[in-house]
Amino acid sequence: MKEFMMIFLGADYTDLGLSPEELQNRMGKWFSWNDKMEKAGVLRGGNALTPTIRRVVGANRTVTDLTSAEVKEIVGGYYIVETADFDAVQKIAEDYPDYDLGGTVEIREIMVFDR
Amino acid sequence: MEKKLIDHLFRYHSGKMVSVLTRIFGLSNLEIIEDAVQDTFIKASVSWRTKQPDNPEAWLTQAAKNRILDIFRKLNTEKKHLPNSIHGTNAIAINELFLDTEIEDSQLRMIFTACHPKLDPRDRISFALKTVSGFSIKEIASALLTKEDSVKKRLTRARKSIQHSQLKFKIPQGTSLPQRLESVMEVLYLIFNEGFHSNRKDTLIRKELCGEAMRLCKMLLKNKHTRSPDVYALFALMCFHSARIETKTNADDELLDLKTQDRSKWHVPLITLGNTMMNKAVDTSTFSCYHYEAAIAAEHLRAPRFEDTNWDKILHWYACLHAIQPMPIHLLTMAVVCLQNKDTVTSKKYLDQIKPEDFVQRAYLYHGTLSDYYYATNNLEKAIKHIDDAINIVTNKSEKSYLQKKKSDLLFSKN
Repeated sequence: MKEFMMIFLGADYTDLGLSPEELQNRMGKWFSWNDKMEKAGVLRGGNALTPTIRRVVGANRTVTDLTSAEVKEIVGGYYIVETADFDAVQKIAEDYPDYDLGGTVEIREIMVFDR
Repeated sequence: MEKKLIDHLFRYHSGKMVSVLTRIFGLSNLEIIEDAVQDTFIKASVSWRTKQPDNPEAWLTQAAKNRILDIFRKLNTEKKHLPNSIHGTNAIAINELFLDTEIEDSQLRMIFTACHPKLDPRDRISFALKTVSGFSIKEIASALLTKEDSVKKRLTRARKSIQHSQLKFKIPQGTSLPQRLESVMEVLYLIFNEGFHSNRKDTLIRKELCGEAMRLCKMLLKNKHTRSPDVYALFALMCFHSARIETKTNADDELLDLKTQDRSKWHVPLITLGNTMMNKAVDTSTFSCYHYEAAIAAEHLRAPRFEDTNWDKILHWYACLHAIQPMPIHLLTMAVVCLQNKDTVTSKKYLDQIKPEDFVQRAYLYHGTLSDYYYATNNLEKAIKHIDDAINIVTNKSEKSYLQKKKSDLLFSKN
């Protein structure tokens, strides 16, 4: 088995004008997705990230503070899952709830280097 | 593990939070308050994804209290004038505002603000749905079949009128209460009707509008100052109508009239509740239009089959309604009722009192009824002419197909 990270890009709720009702419905979808992964025993961890960004760039270590509005596709959170291969994670990622808000799931394998 | 949240938890809490915070910070800070509340729900919806709090409601109440500090800081940095209520010594008083009864009181204040006569009547519904019911601009637009831009404009205009008239965030008392209550009932009635009579396909949003109007009406009934026979009658009317909301359309979303609705599917508990409310409503010497409308709705529900409908009684209630609220639509309805009763002579008397122009976009109702009248008096030529007039001006799809079906029946009986 291998470990993968699903990184969630875009679909920041801040400026979409979603109602409390829609937010609750979306959260419900995240709950059930979470639940499904836990039942399947694949979930190894994950977190949501706040939309505040401090960026350090270049040799001069230039620091900029950014908000979600200034970043094209903000990373909103991630999950770590343990499965056989990319295809299995892709299957899991199909249930990500925010595709309709322009969200993207990026799947990356966690590197294990045995000499 | 997944725990199911109470339905509409966020929406209900949003209305509560906005109302309580407005009571603390005043209507002049409404926009800051709404933003703060919205932000709370965005954060909750994201951070609860992986771990839900044990008691979501307590969590949200605590969040509302925490927003007091946030807003306080924000107003302070913007050097805005702070209401007198916000000082350390008032911490206990503020805490008390989060007791259930006080939250309800704040929500009533918000309802009375939203329905204030100083607000343009068209703006009241949008504003009430936004601040009291926690609908988004998009949801309001879709519920009222209007553009998001016009909803935005209405909300801005409502906020401006509130600032301009310096409305107090209060439940009116004394002599001004009955008139203000009337205005609230009218808005709730309109919200309910948007849900019940709208012919839109999306049944979900229809039911939500009806449910919201009933929830707000119930709030009026819970408070001893705002409870009145008229409010009971309005609530009874909503119960009676809601009892048949499921049967108004068939599986293909086609409209069904009272004649074709499956009466066995009418919701009995709501009818019973409506009757209980009606008993409380009649404890008065003067009846409102809600009393008569509820009486009419109840009369329809009483008939086990369409053929058993007591049209005499219904006609009587419509006459009473028309006497206190003269409207062309009541005359038209009375004409329809007389036709059901096979009394074409009286029907014509009512029809002669009205013109198609009285009904603006709904003139097709007038032509449809005239067609029925001519059919009943064996004048098929004219019956077909008027059904054509109706079909030509009706815009709603399902109503158009309903009329077209009627026309083909007419043509069939002609041959």
